[in-house]
Amino acid sequence: MGPLVDFLPDSDKGKATMILNNDSTITDMLDKLQIKRKVVVAVNGDEEKGLDHVLSDGDEVLVFTVISGG
Amino acid sequence: MSYGYTGKILHVNLSKSELEIEEPDEQFYRTYMGGSAMGMHYVLKETPVGVDPFSPDNVLALCTGILTGTPISGQSRLTSVAKSPLTGCIGDAQGGGYFPAEMKFSGFDAVIIKGRSPKPVYLWLHHGEAELCDASHLWGLTTGDAEDKLKEELDDKRIEVLQIGPAGENLVRYSALISMSNRANGRTGMGAVMGSKNLKAVVVRGKMKPAIANPEKFKELQKLAKANLEPTGMDGFGKYGTPGVCSPQHRAGGLPTYNFNSGNFDKHEEIDGHKLYNEHLRGHEKDDQNRFGRDTCFSCSIKCKRVAQIDEGPFKTEAKYGGPEYETLATFGSYCGISDMDAIIHANALCNMYGMDTISCGATIAWAMECWEEGKLTMKDTGGIELKYGNAEAMVKITEMIAKREGFGEILAEGSKKAAEIIGRGTEEYLITSKGQEAPAHMPQVKRSLSVIYAANPFGADHESSEHDPGYKAYPERMKEIGLTNPQEKLALNKEMMRFAMITQHLSSAVDSISVCAFIFGASFQLYTPEQLVQAINAVMGWNVDMEEILEVGERRLNMLRAFNSREGVGRESDTLPKKMFKRPLKGGRSDGYVLNEEEWEAALEDYYRLCDWDVETGHPSLKKMESLGLGWVVAENNVLSEVIN
Repeated sequence: MGPLVDFLPDSDKGKATMILNNDSTITDMLDKLQIKRKVVVAVNGDEEKGLDHVLSDGDEVLVFTVISGG
Repeated sequence: MSYGYTGKILHVNLSKSELEIEEPDEQFYRTYMGGSAMGMHYVLKETPVGVDPFSPDNVLALCTGILTGTPISGQSRLTSVAKSPLTGCIGDAQGGGYFPAEMKFSGFDAVIIKGRSPKPVYLWLHHGEAELCDASHLWGLTTGDAEDKLKEELDDKRIEVLQIGPAGENLVRYSALISMSNRANGRTGMGAVMGSKNLKAVVVRGKMKPAIANPEKFKELQKLAKANLEPTGMDGFGKYGTPGVCSPQHRAGGLPTYNFNSGNFDKHEEIDGHKLYNEHLRGHEKDDQNRFGRDTCFSCSIKCKRVAQIDEGPFKTEAKYGGPEYETLATFGSYCGISDMDAIIHANALCNMYGMDTISCGATIAWAMECWEEGKLTMKDTGGIELKYGNAEAMVKITEMIAKREGFGEILAEGSKKAAEIIGRGTEEYLITSKGQEAPAHMPQVKRSLSVIYAANPFGADHESSEHDPGYKAYPERMKEIGLTNPQEKLALNKEMMRFAMITQHLSSAVDSISVCAFIFGASFQLYTPEQLVQAINAVMGWNVDMEEILEVGERRLNMLRAFNSREGVGRESDTLPKKMFKRPLKGGRSDGYVLNEEEWEAALEDYYRLCDWDVETGHPSLKKMESLGLGWVVAENNVLSEVIN
């Protein structure tokens, strides 16, 4: 798990279930988690969704930091 | 008065015990800026064509940069260049810690080493003075023991030591230069080159701090480090270090597993940065890891280095040998199917004690494990060691045998490519090397621009030579600063991705020449933006460089590396990827089925050559390109190059 785990409310090995308002976007979700940094997001495995993409009930959202080294 | 640099470059001839100080003019520093480009200036001028990497004539350059030693994050880096005994091409390795800054304080920007001492010696640089001292009593000692002894003998705990361990003495082809007993100029076997010269260490101490031309502007940049910390996420990066990317890499399908046959490691959480931080870093019992379990480089606020300690058991480990980075957790971990964190921490410590590159060492063992699984190696070959995936005890044992060149370790000490040539039996099918260097832990099948960089990079597969694909889309504002405004879809391998690869390669190449940290200065996630790197240079040096000039320094260094290979007869035919990346689709996880298409890849490579202005057939830089970068002298001074570059 990356540093983003520290932003999850009840982290369980890097996963959490969130309840969002209807028509919430990826940005709304990141705001609720107070994640202000740059991240890459995949919705149900699709990394091409923009930050204004509206989430649906049951969507799985993966949030990554981008580190190109190690 | 000069700013940033000391103005002194030390030339050492070990065969003759001669030391000579050169004082180049300011234009020299502005042209090369330090690090890799500065070192290549001397390697190209002084190394004979076709030199054996272990010959006294192989020139080894150790270079700081124009910002080294100034009080800002990410500047304490040193680059080593020489012909590599691992690849037979140019070698290049960067490392951080406190040594680079202290070397600057000792009064020298760079040390250019040739010859071979008749007996072991160390080079002692202090307060502007240089001398060669007997190191016979240090030969054979581990890095920690040698450093302790030097501190005692010189009666100064604040000396810094860049040294080889027993692996470098034994000419293990991927042995490293180690400082602080836990920082490595790891890649391409620079430790073996130093070992071949009977040079045990470079020891430095001094108080000659570099002058800063514009202190007010410099202070602004220092303050920006704090402001940039949270928005860039570098606070979390500091807390969990590079190991924090283990699980994200797995979830993205890009954690190399079972010798690069999968990007999915079921036990990723066992080797992840959280586990390391919470259960293994020094101080974790009292939740005091930030104080005892993290370390840093001179004047760097990030503190990304790990300090692990194991008090008892078979993998007992001293804290002075540091802790594993992401690359090490992957190569000794997922590459080998191993999830035993203690074993990985111990293998990392062995590499630091004996002085070896953890990437090539772990990856070479992973290659041997796949050979074992495929029935190409048996107990007879390994001397009774069951070298199967997941065998942590065997991995640790063979690591030490490699350092000592004992038993089967003698063959693996040659690196996996040469080992495959020795063993035969089709074992080359399982290699994950480019130019004979083992691939680091970022997968070209998942980050496609890396597929071309791994192949075309002059010193072999490398993950710090360009930005990685996801950075293009995630950091549009920063990419714009270097002229990249057209991010592509995931898995794209088209002309625009080649432009992304080449331009970010130029920036990374500049970073390795200015000799600053790739986690602090770069085009995407780093603490400072590319433009802020320009500002830092101008604040320290009193120059007026712009982004174009910085990128040109990077391009200059890249072409110097490439030209070195050209004169050694190395061109397009060596710009290859491991066969398995084209033949075997990855298994499992998010990258299940991913495989590179050879035809598409060859076309991308040619697009990259054209963008670089390199000959598509030979892969050599064009004369026009060399001359435009002020490198006409490289071709003019070398008969072989004059024939192949036109």
